[in-house]
Amino acid sequence: MGRIKFPIVCAAALAVSLGLQLAVDGGVFPDVLNPYYLHLLTIIGMNIILVASLNLLNGYLGEFALGHAGFMAVGAYTAALLATRVLPAAADLPPVVGPFCILVATLGGAMAAAALVGWLVGLLTFKTVGDYLAIITLGFNMIIVNAIQNLDFVGGPRGFTGIPKNTSFFAVAVCAVVTLAVLRNLIQSSFGRVWVSIRENAIAAELMGVAVNRAKNQVFTLAAAFAGLAGGLWAQNQQFITPRSFDYIKTTEILVMLYLGGMASLSGSILGVVAYTVLMEVLRNLLSAFAPQLTEWRMLISPLILILIMLTRQYGLMGNREWAWLRKAP
Amino acid sequence: MGVLVQQLLNVAQLGAVYALIALGYSMVYGIIRLINFAHGDIFMLGGFIGLLIGVRLPWLPVYVMMPLAMILTALAGVLVERVAYRRLRNANRMSVVITTLGVGIFLENLVRLTVGPETRQIRSGMPTASVAWLQGHLGVYVTWDKVLIILVSFSLMAILWLVVNRTLVGTAMRAVADNKDVVPLMGVNLNLIIAGTFAIGSALAAAGGIFYGQAYALDPYMGIDLGWKAFIAAVIGGIGSIEGAVLGSFLLAGVEVATVAYLSSNLKNGIAFGLLILLLLVWPWGIMGKPGMRKV
Repeated sequence: MGRIKFPIVCAAALAVSLGLQLAVDGGVFPDVLNPYYLHLLTIIGMNIILVASLNLLNGYLGEFALGHAGFMAVGAYTAALLATRVLPAAADLPPVVGPFCILVATLGGAMAAAALVGWLVGLLTFKTVGDYLAIITLGFNMIIVNAIQNLDFVGGPRGFTGIPKNTSFFAVAVCAVVTLAVLRNLIQSSFGRVWVSIRENAIAAELMGVAVNRAKNQVFTLAAAFAGLAGGLWAQNQQFITPRSFDYIKTTEILVMLYLGGMASLSGSILGVVAYTVLMEVLRNLLSAFAPQLTEWRMLISPLILILIMLTRQYGLMGNREWAWLRKAP
Repeated sequence: MGVLVQQLLNVAQLGAVYALIALGYSMVYGIIRLINFAHGDIFMLGGFIGLLIGVRLPWLPVYVMMPLAMILTALAGVLVERVAYRRLRNANRMSVVITTLGVGIFLENLVRLTVGPETRQIRSGMPTASVAWLQGHLGVYVTWDKVLIILVSFSLMAILWLVVNRTLVGTAMRAVADNKDVVPLMGVNLNLIIAGTFAIGSALAAAGGIFYGQAYALDPYMGIDLGWKAFIAAVIGGIGSIEGAVLGSFLLAGVEVATVAYLSSNLKNGIAFGLLILLLLVWPWGIMGKPGMRKV
């Protein structure tokens, strides 16, 4: 029995998600396979993209970046603008191929715009490290949200309405699998080794001939691009976005999932997202089974669980470790 | 002229509140290099403790209510340090930061679920007759609240400065900030000093919370926004420095008030943060901060 291979897991995940999508659309077993669970899975998929890409910056590069929701906002608004103002409606195009082209174009635009912003932010934050980098990235998050609030043609503070629903659970699953595949291969390539070397000792890395600033900016651009992808998916799934949903509360949520799962571990990113989302839903159902008015108290229990995990497992659930199928063969 | 004086007063009022929060951030960071993201929520908690004392014991005068709320909040701050942070003191920094975020979310929801999500205001009970007189004669709208906030905040800051720079406890605090591995060997009780720092920071934040509740309004989530801003003010001034925290707070308040007065209140956060980022790019260690050493 050999090791389980990464492509096999990916193919299996995609097959299962396609099956789920078709089963829910077709109304098979409506008791179990209902849109509520599919919605949860969609959220999990998008959060995996967000958390895994932030892990590049916070886990592998070892910087303390706090503005991930800002890049997500850039992607979401770019995708929303492309979908509503620039591209023709999916109905005008041939079936299957048309929606696919629209999705690729909007998501590509979202990634490109977010990457551009990420590159600029990276360029500016070169000089600072540690807590100062945290402030500057956080400041950029606030500036991006504030700028969108003042742009009237995207709805300003009222939000952007009327975005067509171009994504499905299957599209999100494909994007999540592609993200994980790209990140896994990059992290285990010489690029990833360079990032880890900067995390361990930037000065030593520099002495070994690593262009530290260039490598840092690569990671910023890359992480921003994938956050933009998640934003594009989010916008075309929710069909309504407001600037407020991309402020530092969202960033905090992404951080919580990241640290819960564990730093510098893609397995941890997946596990953290799933554990957090499932925990919140289980708490909701458990508490409402006792008394409906208790549902709100899960907001009190979940941070306690988080603190408990941090007190007992400092590196998160999977810190610095990786499931066998995500590792590359030595 | 009147308008300018009015704006300066607004800056002093907002800056004093920011400074009271920023001092707690700065002191804790200076001593154990911990960004306490729950500090904004301690500020919110202090405001609500003041509100509850005011509601339950309406006959209590402000000058008793305030120290009482400060003491209770200081106890809460020490409790948080004891339960959640002490065991992580030598841990990986990231897991401490996430713990502080967790404590913050916990406090927000605790207040929201026990007190309620609606915004409240603390009645100040200060006389208002002189306000109209001043407005008629000087064209400046000064309430007693405003005067009290500015005066009490500055007194508290002066007391803090004296404690840190002129007392034995302050000397121990500065020594711990300098080297927390060697100082305990000299017979200083490290846990006591750190608990004391949390207590002072939380008490100052409680004063800020009560003033904020009198001047503006309290809601369970205000700690996030104000906490971040005070933190940024502390960083701008040079985190770890008391003078720097005060300076950064008034600078941030000045930029914010000027943006609201002369541009648009919608641009407040964007312009304030844009300018502050520029400032940080020029002065990477903050205005009063010491450059960190790069170990090779």
